[in-house]
Amino acid sequence: MTNPNLPDQHEQDGLPPFVKSWPQMYTLIIGVLVLQIVLFYLFMTHFQ
Amino acid sequence: MTYLDWIVLVLTLTFIISYGIYRSRVNKNIESYLLADQSLPWYHVTLSLMATQASAITFLSAPGQAYTDGMRFVQFYFGLPMAMVVLCITFVPRFHQLKVFTAYEFLEGRFDLRTRGLTAGLFLLQRGLSTGLSIYAPAIILSSILGWDITITNIISGGLVLLYTVTGGAKAISHTHLLQMGIVTLGMVIAGFMVVHLLPEDVSFTDALHVAGKMGKTNVIDFSFDLNNRYNVWSGIIGGFFLQLSYFGTDQSQVGRYLTGSSIGQSRLGLAMNGLLKIPMQFLILMVGVLVFAFYQFNNPPLFFNQVQVDRIQQTVYAGAYQQLEARHDAIQTEKSKEVLALHQALEREDEVGIEKSRAILGSLEVDVQGVRKEAQELLVKANGEEVNDVNYIFLRFVIEYLPVGLVGLLIAVILLASMGSVAAAYNSLASTTVVDIYKRMIRSDASDMHYVTVSRWVTFGWGIFCIFVAQYASRLGSMIEAVNVLGSLFYGVILGVFLVAFYFKSIGSRAVFWGAVIGEIFVIASYWIELTAFLWLNLIGCVLVIGFAWIIEMIWPQSSVTTTTK
Repeated sequence: MTNPNLPDQHEQDGLPPFVKSWPQMYTLIIGVLVLQIVLFYLFMTHFQ
Repeated sequence: MTYLDWIVLVLTLTFIISYGIYRSRVNKNIESYLLADQSLPWYHVTLSLMATQASAITFLSAPGQAYTDGMRFVQFYFGLPMAMVVLCITFVPRFHQLKVFTAYEFLEGRFDLRTRGLTAGLFLLQRGLSTGLSIYAPAIILSSILGWDITITNIISGGLVLLYTVTGGAKAISHTHLLQMGIVTLGMVIAGFMVVHLLPEDVSFTDALHVAGKMGKTNVIDFSFDLNNRYNVWSGIIGGFFLQLSYFGTDQSQVGRYLTGSSIGQSRLGLAMNGLLKIPMQFLILMVGVLVFAFYQFNNPPLFFNQVQVDRIQQTVYAGAYQQLEARHDAIQTEKSKEVLALHQALEREDEVGIEKSRAILGSLEVDVQGVRKEAQELLVKANGEEVNDVNYIFLRFVIEYLPVGLVGLLIAVILLASMGSVAAAYNSLASTTVVDIYKRMIRSDASDMHYVTVSRWVTFGWGIFCIFVAQYASRLGSMIEAVNVLGSLFYGVILGVFLVAFYFKSIGSRAVFWGAVIGEIFVIASYWIELTAFLWLNLIGCVLVIGFAWIIEMIWPQSSVTTTTK
């Protein structure tokens, strides 16, 4: 379908801020989601 | 509204529109007009994505929803961060590498013109109608509360934005999004601060949350798995993931925003930041609604927040019955206010027995309040002969009645700016799809760049008129934020299914995916019609059906050769 030899995006666009690679950025996003769910749960139980 | 409110409102709107027009100066070609020359940094992309998604409905409906239903609506967004990750990995590099103007352009390379036309058509239908709703939602509320004429309000809500969208295209839209999000955020922070400030002197921010929490309004998380429950963690993560993936991956109003990024990395970063910021932002907006709820526990709320419908019933034979309900409601609220103070004191003393006692009494009083409200709504329906719902009026009624002079104007400007932000992106996407996928591809492919820019401007204007027309005829649909999401859920899953087949099922050809999409769409509409499940799941159902049907059709009726992207 598309060119399988896409250029390495790290080389093409540089690295994302705060982390060393895009996969780490994605892990960070999912990690923050999990953290938010935990914090919301604590928020709910604390105020209910 | 006072003169000062009018001055704040007019100055804020004039500033944004003038800035948009100033940014409209240079549009040398179609790429400049539709994609802002693909030159924008990540923070433009992030704020533009957020401004496009957060319409006026977000700021009117969400606090009202928190007031009536608690904070569980935030779970709707749990699928968004995961969707952002998938978009960054799969969609963004493909779209950038192929240098497409629209998402549907990509599908012709992978499948054929028919599939491109089908998805572009479904998008135009869905986006054209839902943009009408996006214009109508704040217009009907503003016109009801402020006594403005609905037609003029619709024209302001949907027409002012045309001043810079028609001339400036994507670049003007993105630059104004930046300012709009700044003012909108500031306005909501001030509103939240003011609610806390207006609470009784000895009631703090956390006290207010405790009071609301004890009455079930801080119900942010629900782990129970129930297909008919609109908002729980699982419908948010699974159904929400498919809805957000469809919305950001296949809806041109969002694809057009991250295609303006100056590189793959900048577009990715814009999406990633959206994944990090969206849930906290929505949580805070809902918290404003919960604080308004807490405020009304110390100050008697009206029985019904839409005053226009209350005024109307006073002119009918049901006026006496309604006044009796109001008296009952006031009596319960007065009793409730006393019990809320008792709860507050018990909380301060950390008296667990007192807290439990107050909570039980308040729970029972709240059931009584809901009962009276239900009776009032039934009476309003009988008297006015139309559907009634006041969820969208709660926050604005509070703003008008309790916020100080000047801030009312600012908050109304916030609502109009939020509307302008999402409507501008919608107009631009409707124009891109009409010009690139239909006019340029099917009608006239050999014209100059300036010709397409001129056509795009006229098409943007035409869609603006169409959407204002739809807004004029939109019926009342309960919570508007849900109405827009329900409409999206009818189409997004199917369009996403087509894209996922394109990306991940290379053996499936154009004929199979086309008919898979047609059959899938029929099933989704039928599922909604028979109320098979809560609407969020329709995204998953639509997507899975397209993939399943396309695969089956390909098995029974294989195409001899599968087209591949050559662009």
